Amino acid sequence: MAELKVLLEHAENPKYGALDGYLATGGYAGLNKALGMEKQAVIDEIKASGLRGRGGAGFPTWIKWNGLPKEKRGPQYILCNADEGEPGTFKDKLLLERCPFLVVEGMTIAGFATNTDKGYIYIRGEFIDGARAVRSAIDQAYAKGYLGKNIRGSGFDFDLYIHMGAGSYECGEETALMSSLMGERGMPRLKFPHAPLPTVAGAWEKPTVINNVETYSCAPLIIAKGGTWYASMGATTKNSRGTKIFSVCGHVNKPANYEVEFGTTLKELLELAGGIKGGALKFCVPGGSSVPMINADGVNAGVIGYEEMSEVKSMVGSGGCMFFNEHTCVVTYIWRTAVFYANESCGKCTPCREGTKWLVQILERIRSGGGKEGDAELLKDVASQIDGRSFCPLGDAAAWPILAALRVFPEEFDYYIKNGKSMVQGEAQLAMAP
Amino acid sequence: MSDRIQLATPADRPKAPRADELQLRFSDVAVAELDEIKTHYPDLKSCILPALWIAQREYGGYLTGEAIAEAAHRLNRAYAEVEGVATFYTMFNMAHKPGRHKLELCTCLSCHVCGTYRIRDLIKQKLGIGHGETTADGMFTMEEVECLNACDRAPCMQVGDSYYGPLDEAALDALLDKLRATPESTVIQMADAIVKAHLPAVTK
Repeated sequence: MAELKVLLEHAENPKYGALDGYLATGGYAGLNKALGMEKQAVIDEIKASGLRGRGGAGFPTWIKWNGLPKEKRGPQYILCNADEGEPGTFKDKLLLERCPFLVVEGMTIAGFATNTDKGYIYIRGEFIDGARAVRSAIDQAYAKGYLGKNIRGSGFDFDLYIHMGAGSYECGEETALMSSLMGERGMPRLKFPHAPLPTVAGAWEKPTVINNVETYSCAPLIIAKGGTWYASMGATTKNSRGTKIFSVCGHVNKPANYEVEFGTTLKELLELAGGIKGGALKFCVPGGSSVPMINADGVNAGVIGYEEMSEVKSMVGSGGCMFFNEHTCVVTYIWRTAVFYANESCGKCTPCREGTKWLVQILERIRSGGGKEGDAELLKDVASQIDGRSFCPLGDAAAWPILAALRVFPEEFDYYIKNGKSMVQGEAQLAMAP
Repeated sequence: MSDRIQLATPADRPKAPRADELQLRFSDVAVAELDEIKTHYPDLKSCILPALWIAQREYGGYLTGEAIAEAAHRLNRAYAEVEGVATFYTMFNMAHKPGRHKLELCTCLSCHVCGTYRIRDLIKQKLGIGHGETTADGMFTMEEVECLNACDRAPCMQVGDSYYGPLDEAALDALLDKLRATPESTVIQMADAIVKAHLPAVTK
């Protein structure tokens, strides 16, 4: 299966970031159509499309939109999570830089459908080019009446603001993002069922819809062309519809973003990216650093879909698909993953704050040649005690890669512990040594 | 504990000025920018992050105790609260003045397997600085950072508002030469770009 460019159809067009260029390619057809529809009909169209959250969790988007009070009682908010931080992922960066109007229009449609007049887009601090593109899109939209008061004469008001992050992976977690938006340390908040859903009490304790950049970017196309059209893509999968952008990187010849239909195989995705370089394929982390790794057999069997990926014991995640060649030492790779989560743990809950650092300590002991018998079991034990016991998914995300590596490549850990050196030798391995 | 886990030390903590010694240094432009940003949020607390970005720009690219105190004062928040927020985020330079250019080298997964540690060693060799260090002439600060989400350009480095990659020795040399010839601080330029992202072209 080849690429299917729906969101990225015009990403190479330099005029797409200007309102005129966007309109010339059919931009704002979705909003114009939505403004003439019943609000509930807009949500039903999203429901018919089968759109699911593209940030990693795959939660049905329409349920979030439908969850806001039908009779507005006070302020409520549309939030966009543009705090892309998952290692291996760079799709939101591309969408912000090249297709800024898609997310602006998508958020405006969400605002209309949910009777909300204010939105914030939380952009990662490092993404300055993306922020500039979105800033320019918002300014142009205001100037031509696509944002602000009485949009296109419909009586619907919508204000959109940019909020810049300041360097924290944790803020990509939706409740931590809200904390950060409200001027706090970016720590997660209590979640359902222990606290109300964001649609009841989210940002500033008001009803809030929060979605990923890619999710909002789908909305204008779904409304313009119809939910049935969108749902026709990916129909071979159980319950994944439309397209997904995969950021393919690691040891591949053409690292880039590739938009493919659900139902495409991982093998086809690897071929799109020019195949593996520097040696044979060893393993793949298909959805960003948090998801469990799969070996070459898993890549051959893997079909892209939220349910299908679980058959090879992995996930679609955020779409950061990293392939690694045979010269990659799994222990070294996992050590670097563990360092990442230890550095990014916000420190709120004990399993994650302490556990992630214990994992690094054990892995460093192994890598320094001082591995003890039983260290592999100890790693598994510590990771299992973080998984499902931390306050937010960051802890789970720290545990899954390690548990998967121990399951898929147990011999590499055993070899390192017994021999004090990596099973993989050679220059590529040396380059990875810190 | 591993030296790769980036834990703050007491030396990274800014020193709060006495309340009666606080001198306000925000320019008129900065005050106007903050006034505009205040209209974006339902409360003043939510302005802490943008106010800290303004402070980082106004105080020469880093947050001193005075910078935090001024941000707190202008938002009517406690110093401790604003310092607590500032220290959580890695992009705020705490207490120590960074070099004119901050080399933020991504060492995370894709960059890791694509040879970022060679680039780090080259920087050490050419400039004599490692993680968290600044050259004696105050030109460069080097920092190993987590994923910049530009894995298609691995190994990748952020300096100011720009990403550079994929890096090899020649690209690194060219970049360092370019930066040496750039008299403006890219650290301040980055803070300015982030502040500007909040501000509409025409104030409504």
